[in-house]
Amino acid sequence: MHIKPFQEFAKDKIGVAGLVLILFLFTTAILAPVIAPHDPWDYSASAFQPPSREHLLGTNDIGYDIFSELLWALRTSILFGIAVATITCTIGIVLGVSAALIGGMYDMIVMRLADALLAIPTIMVLILIAAYFKPSTTVLIIALSLVLWQTIARGMRAQTLSLKTKLYVKAAKNTGAPTSYIMYKHIMPELFPLYAMGFVTKARIAVFMEAGLSFLGIFDPTTKSLGIMMSYAMRYLDPCFGVWFNWLLPPVVALSLLIISLGLISYAIEEIFDPRLRRNNVTPI
Amino acid sequence: MRNRTMKMVVAYLLTIFILLFLNFLLPRLLPGDAILAMYSGHETLMTEEMYAELVRMHGLDLPLHEQFFIYLTELAHGDLGYSYICHASTADLIMGALPWTLLLVGTSFILSAVAGIVLGVESSWRRGGRFDKTLLTFMLLLDGIPSLAIGITSLTVFCLYFGWFPSTGAMTPYSGAEGIEYIKDVLWHLVLPLATLTLSMIPGDYLLIRNSMLLTIREPYVLTARAKGIKNRRIKYLHAARNAILPFATRIGIRIAYLITGALFIETIFAYPGLGLLTYHAISNRDLPLMQGILTVSVILVLLINIVVDLMYKKIDPRVGYAY
Repeated sequence: MHIKPFQEFAKDKIGVAGLVLILFLFTTAILAPVIAPHDPWDYSASAFQPPSREHLLGTNDIGYDIFSELLWALRTSILFGIAVATITCTIGIVLGVSAALIGGMYDMIVMRLADALLAIPTIMVLILIAAYFKPSTTVLIIALSLVLWQTIARGMRAQTLSLKTKLYVKAAKNTGAPTSYIMYKHIMPELFPLYAMGFVTKARIAVFMEAGLSFLGIFDPTTKSLGIMMSYAMRYLDPCFGVWFNWLLPPVVALSLLIISLGLISYAIEEIFDPRLRRNNVTPI
Repeated sequence: MRNRTMKMVVAYLLTIFILLFLNFLLPRLLPGDAILAMYSGHETLMTEEMYAELVRMHGLDLPLHEQFFIYLTELAHGDLGYSYICHASTADLIMGALPWTLLLVGTSFILSAVAGIVLGVESSWRRGGRFDKTLLTFMLLLDGIPSLAIGITSLTVFCLYFGWFPSTGAMTPYSGAEGIEYIKDVLWHLVLPLATLTLSMIPGDYLLIRNSMLLTIREPYVLTARAKGIKNRRIKYLHAARNAILPFATRIGIRIAYLITGALFIETIFAYPGLGLLTYHAISNRDLPLMQGILTVSVILVLLINIVVDLMYKKIDPRVGYAY
């Protein structure tokens, strides 16, 4: 590879901004048990307290501390994003690369399955699955991963197919290198950009889906989630409660920041690995 | 070309198979009793004979393949099942909601596509300039704000704080308005959901077109057009953009699926009486037949759009016909 990805990334302002933002959110989420001033599953003051020194964002309708809830909800979102992205990318890589290497009937089945998944509104399937099974976080993570792998598999397959014909891969093969060595040494490193890109994109979709599905009321209501917070706060949206500023806005902002940071990173990665899009490439016009 | 058609057909068949699996097989594979689920709350009143009669009435005593055949026949007749929560035919409920979703999604698709294409083309043409940089940053930020957040914020600000727009429904109930007044009323209710959905779609379209344009304007034929002294606007839209929108055209089917997802949240937020709100009610009441019906209709909708796009694609990009 002729690109030094990390140095390129450090030069990219948009990417660095996204990275700083995500690291900040990540640290906050990891440290949630330490930072959170109250137990988010327990009554800590009377309901609808306005923000104060004791309760930074006030309390909700049953007297839970909103700031603590927010921290734990952020944790759920990030955990969900990482888990779904990891599983999805693993499925995508295994199916995509194996389809390219094995070919034939297997290749055809995998790819047509990917096409079919592309045409189905993912969320409807998830809603149906969640309605049948008990909607625990693990079940939803797996269900979401099962319907999101298709774009990754397609990308991996296309890239592996083109790598298979490269001279250095053939040379390695001719010198007697085993397939596993070629995979590990020559094919996997070349797939890294796709992997990085796919991971960030899927994490982004997963975070959004988690918030959206819990907003619709699919999640276990005792989980702390940005979507659940929003949907409860929406019930008290009437101006006379005046809770939208300290209850509704924080999860909305947190979710937006999380998704924005992932979006910025994925944009930067795309620009680094697609040299045709790079800025130092002067266009004729 | 035959190869391409084959691939299409196989993919569609698989889609339908997944759909049938979810709707027909999954409920039968899971533990639990369908009759008890349907009449939950009345189990104590049910006698042995009544239970047996209900099993017979619903055809649950038939072998699985006969049940499947009946399911397919009913589906072909447009019967999507019966909602035991709403006490109405699922097909009727869906048909009542579908027009509103189509109005919302269709209008939003056109608006966001036009805005995305125009902004993307102009932005790429002025690459690195102030206009491009500002717009790109703005779009990247907007792309990050989920439709959920845009919807909730605009609902709070424009409906509750300023009171400029209605916060629920697709028209004023019992207003008795007709003609122009009726259309005005519907449009007034449409403004916020439409704006939210469109705003959430524009960045994706914009970024796609901008990147594709950046590659297209480096093609030699664009340079030739410039050398011939053709006006910039003509080159931009008739020479470059025509080719740059190809990746956009390929993704129309996927975008429609996204739009339906987006509509789900936005209709819920604004209580807009489309498929999304119907789904929300189905979830909160655990109305399984209704959920299955909505899934069936939305999959068929997306498949139909995909077929149309596939058929049109040869017209848009004649190279496809030769390549296979």
